[in-house]
Amino acid sequence: MKLSRRARLLVLFAVPIALMSIVRLWSGEDGLTSSDTIGASLRLSVPILLAGLAGLWAERCGVLNIGIEGMMIFGTWFGGWGAWQFGPWLGLAFAVLGGMLGGLIHAIATVRFNVDQIISGVVLNLLAFFGVRYMSDLAFVGQPGGGVSQSPPQTSAIPRFDVPFISGGDLFGWKSPNVLLSLEDSGWFFIGDLAGILYGLTNNLSWGTVIGVAAVPATFWILWRTRLGLRLRSSGESPTAAETLGVNVIRLRYVGLLVSGGLAGYAGGILAIVASSYYRQGQTAGRGYIGLATMIFGNWRPIGVLGGASLFGYTEGVKLVANDAISTLFLFVALAAVLLAVMAVVNRTTTRGIVAVFVSVIAAYAYLAIEDVPQSLTQSLPYLATLIVLATASQRLRPPAMAGVPYRRGESH
Amino acid sequence: MELRNISKGFPGVIANRDISMSVERGTIHAIVGENGAGKSTLMKTLYGLHRPDSGTVAVHGQVVDFRSPSDAIEAGIGMVHQHFMLADNLTVLENIILGAEPAKAGVINAREAGRKIAELAKSLGVEIDVNSPVAELGVGQRQRVEILKVLYRGAKTLILDEPTAVLVPQEVDELFDNLRRLVAAGTTVLFISHKLDEVLAVSNRITVIRQGTTVGTVTPAEVTRRQLAEMMVGSDLPQPAPRTTQVREQVRLEVKNLTVARVGQRDLVRDVSLAVRSGEILGVAGVEGNGQFELCSALLGREHSTGTVAIDGNDVSRASVRERMNAGLAYVPFDRQREGLMLTSSLWENNLLGQEEKFTKFGFVNVGAARAACRTVIKRFGVLTPSEEVPAFALSGGNQQKLVVGRTMSMNPAVLLAAHPTRGIDVGAQAAVWEEVRQARDAGLAVLLVSADLDELLGLSDRVIVMFEGAIVAELLPREATPELLGTYMTGAKVGS
Repeated sequence: MKLSRRARLLVLFAVPIALMSIVRLWSGEDGLTSSDTIGASLRLSVPILLAGLAGLWAERCGVLNIGIEGMMIFGTWFGGWGAWQFGPWLGLAFAVLGGMLGGLIHAIATVRFNVDQIISGVVLNLLAFFGVRYMSDLAFVGQPGGGVSQSPPQTSAIPRFDVPFISGGDLFGWKSPNVLLSLEDSGWFFIGDLAGILYGLTNNLSWGTVIGVAAVPATFWILWRTRLGLRLRSSGESPTAAETLGVNVIRLRYVGLLVSGGLAGYAGGILAIVASSYYRQGQTAGRGYIGLATMIFGNWRPIGVLGGASLFGYTEGVKLVANDAISTLFLFVALAAVLLAVMAVVNRTTTRGIVAVFVSVIAAYAYLAIEDVPQSLTQSLPYLATLIVLATASQRLRPPAMAGVPYRRGESH
Repeated sequence: MELRNISKGFPGVIANRDISMSVERGTIHAIVGENGAGKSTLMKTLYGLHRPDSGTVAVHGQVVDFRSPSDAIEAGIGMVHQHFMLADNLTVLENIILGAEPAKAGVINAREAGRKIAELAKSLGVEIDVNSPVAELGVGQRQRVEILKVLYRGAKTLILDEPTAVLVPQEVDELFDNLRRLVAAGTTVLFISHKLDEVLAVSNRITVIRQGTTVGTVTPAEVTRRQLAEMMVGSDLPQPAPRTTQVREQVRLEVKNLTVARVGQRDLVRDVSLAVRSGEILGVAGVEGNGQFELCSALLGREHSTGTVAIDGNDVSRASVRERMNAGLAYVPFDRQREGLMLTSSLWENNLLGQEEKFTKFGFVNVGAARAACRTVIKRFGVLTPSEEVPAFALSGGNQQKLVVGRTMSMNPAVLLAAHPTRGIDVGAQAAVWEEVRQARDAGLAVLLVSADLDELLGLSDRVIVMFEGAIVAELLPREATPELLGTYMTGAKVGS
């Protein structure tokens, strides 16, 4: 089957939605595509997405960044403090600056002093963890609602909005019709699900989320369309070649790590300001590491990172909003695998077909047999998906060639 | 371009001494000399990678002082490095424009860049898809990308450092055609090489460098190959001497249907069968990356393979590396720094590698004996070093190689896998290595010799096989194998019997 690029993309989006629709009508459980689930998924995806992009920026310029978690912690603390003191927008700005501080520390250690990049990242994580505790002690203890492990609550939030016309948003004071919600409530095959998904993505949106998602096209555009981007990628691919052509690799690695830190800090800011209204210790909950996994899952490309982050966010969202619908995910997997098996028969790729049938049977069994899915299992689903991707696609993954290799100027000759 | 009395020293050595030469515009000017004669140092001076201690460089009559490569680029001088400076994952276009991107407000104008590159490619006489990643290109094409990169920056003088070292003969011809076109259009080419036939074929003038200084400048019409070689070496020539050996009956290495497979790739080594007899050197020719490395790894037992391997009649197909070595196999690795040495360890520890069992008792190393063994190797192979205590990285490449070869030979192997045994070492050391291999062969050693140096291959081997895409595509006798014929097989243009 040969399809044009556009047709293939369409199929890639339409087929899973159709399958989910079938699952919904079959099981009567509408949690998989309800706007509540999708909205929660979006909110949960954004911090992971930003962490993934932070990893992408760092590795594209040639430095491994295990310290994203730490930079996010800086982001949550500075974000929480800034929002409490100066309001939510300045809070986000402080979160970015806090993350950039982490990025700068990592850059000075790895680029300037050639400290092992893994060690520097790990140290940064520890430093952030204990550092913010100390700072909380100075800034929050004794304040109403504040303590060594959390900040006082913020009094205002980043504004939220509904998109006009399709999700009933306001337009110059006039309330526009809510087309998507009516369509979702109709429950029609496919259309109801599509509307649910779109409504989830377009109602009650925080501007903080919108800015976060906008980092995906911005990252792509800067890294693949601008001079700075080309040079930055070249210092991750072949710093020696770049240096002989007059590119300042050292400076670009600083730039890359500052952007990386800024994105991680913003991710932390989202957690402290948009997803909640105060800083709390442990708010990042390992999302920095998950971000790194999405970076690998996404083959070091922004669109891929978006896909990976959506996967993690979605399973988390289903768990949070529609825990009962989780078992229907297995039905979805079973149906998808059947479809893949049929395609394998058409394309005469035996191995893939057998694997697909196998997966389908397992998933169907799981759907029928498992009444109550243990939380630990659902939580591990996205990791499982990442593992499968890594196992099957590792031949085709293309990490930046020199990421992780320290560079000393002029040593190549 | 005019060079006057250039000298350049590094701690402990004087690399260039009193070099003077002048290069005319619109010519191909070759600079020849042995390894270590100071060619590369001179070129780096010209390209601004370092500054001379004394002397001057003048371009178009004006004295210049290059502090960095960008100064040289600005003066219209571009360098094509011997080891390509390309980012594999970036596209051809990205590699070429990097550092000199046509951009408006920081946004790259890819279309304009593509147009300009297409023009340059046309003037060079090459066809290239600018949007494919460099990783997908062959060696010859990568070199074109390097040349285009330099031309893109408006270079009027091109420095090519050993450009033919990585090419097969046909590709060399293509390169020379490209260069002639360039020169006809007014570009100047400085061509560094130690391959005399090529130099005589392509250059307008030739400058010979020996021991860091210029010996003279000649035109190809004035000299023969031999005269040029003697200018280079300053004395009589070492040569792979004619064969005087008789290959014996006893088969020491026998390989049958050896295949190395990788999931998702074509077989790296495909159904290779060969036999090497006592007193025989079997040469393996081929463009790098056609399975030679994997063949050696499989024979050594480091790479999983199917098929059978026998040493002196003992089947070692399933044996470990250690067991194979005990059966008489020895290996001179492809890359001495990566596979052959622990660079930060002392020479005697390096020499001990692979023969620890011989020098240990109850788990303790007999340090005295190990040191003495290393001293023997140092002496016998003429390794230039103050003592066996210095770390391996302190030696020059040639001396490192001598140590690796010496260590291997001192194990008295039955079968020797020698991969590029004389790569990057000077003529004297080369002759010494050849002599050792020859003597061991006469004593009954069987040698599988992988080499990119066709002269070495044809001079030493009793038979030559050619590998292409993992399979043996031809077997030849040295006297019937011309470099052109080998080149035809090496590029897969023809499959022999």
